[in-house]
Amino acid sequence: MSFPLYIEEWLGWLPEETIIANRPNRLISAPLGGMLPAILRRRLDDTGRATCDILRELDPQADAPLVHASRHGDTTHTLAMLESLQRGEPISPTRFSMSVHNAILGVHSIAQSHHRPLQALGACGDEFDALVYESHGYLMAGYSSVVAVFSESSLPAAYQGVTQHPGTACVVGMRFTLNQGRAITLSKPGQSTSPTPVNVLNWLNGETTFLDGRQRWHLEQE
Amino acid sequence: MTETCHQTLEIELKRLIIDALELEDITLADIDPHAPLFGEGLGLDSIDALELGLALQKQYGIKLDSEADETRRHFASLAALQALVEARRVN
Repeated sequence: MSFPLYIEEWLGWLPEETIIANRPNRLISAPLGGMLPAILRRRLDDTGRATCDILRELDPQADAPLVHASRHGDTTHTLAMLESLQRGEPISPTRFSMSVHNAILGVHSIAQSHHRPLQALGACGDEFDALVYESHGYLMAGYSSVVAVFSESSLPAAYQGVTQHPGTACVVGMRFTLNQGRAITLSKPGQSTSPTPVNVLNWLNGETTFLDGRQRWHLEQE
Repeated sequence: MTETCHQTLEIELKRLIIDALELEDITLADIDPHAPLFGEGLGLDSIDALELGLALQKQYGIKLDSEADETRRHFASLAALQALVEARRVN
């Protein structure tokens, strides 16, 4: 199937302590969020800071549409708010304001004076496929590149074993184009598995020959 | 209120602001008691005002009307905030 789409550049982030068989070679490192104004940085966890760093690296001119996906979002702070409500205590206005799914993109857009389209997605496990299709849509609408970022924060103990999660905080970002970089192709419907950012990092790093989501995605070798 | 108590409360309020607003790069010495807290000065925003109002309620039992003009005056500076706490704290 012809699917004109290319990955021009990619970057990832994993916490230093995360153990992974083959650590991808294009990871950003600490300190995270160093280019964010401190007054904005304080509101983001490490995943949010890494997401902003990757967005900045992949879209330095603040000129591309940005799509950010996270299956679960910032569950640690969301759970803390629910626990406050259960105790009959007021919730933190800051945490409430940051609990929306597009909060990280909002902070990034303020910090970078980014005025192109921003889109935040949660897709119940289909985040990678959704990112690809949304990015392709922006490219077909005339933009020369789109930056898509897929992230997960660490999961609170209360949720562990209850939902699928990569087991670590993680972020992967890709800059898509219609004609530059490594071609993405799809061969057949995938196994309807739910790739995580770690799976995507491994695929981009050449550790796996394909990535199964709703589709089976292949990446042209470097 | 003695001068010592006054200074102790000033430090306590600085810590409250830094902790409640997660000002990780700000030290006690960075907060000028007479400089504006919002906009210029520390550069705090409207969400911080709500968070600070909640912290004052939890710590000192002071309830403020977020729409009232006098609330704006109480939040003008650390010194104004301190005067409010000294006058209206219930715990």
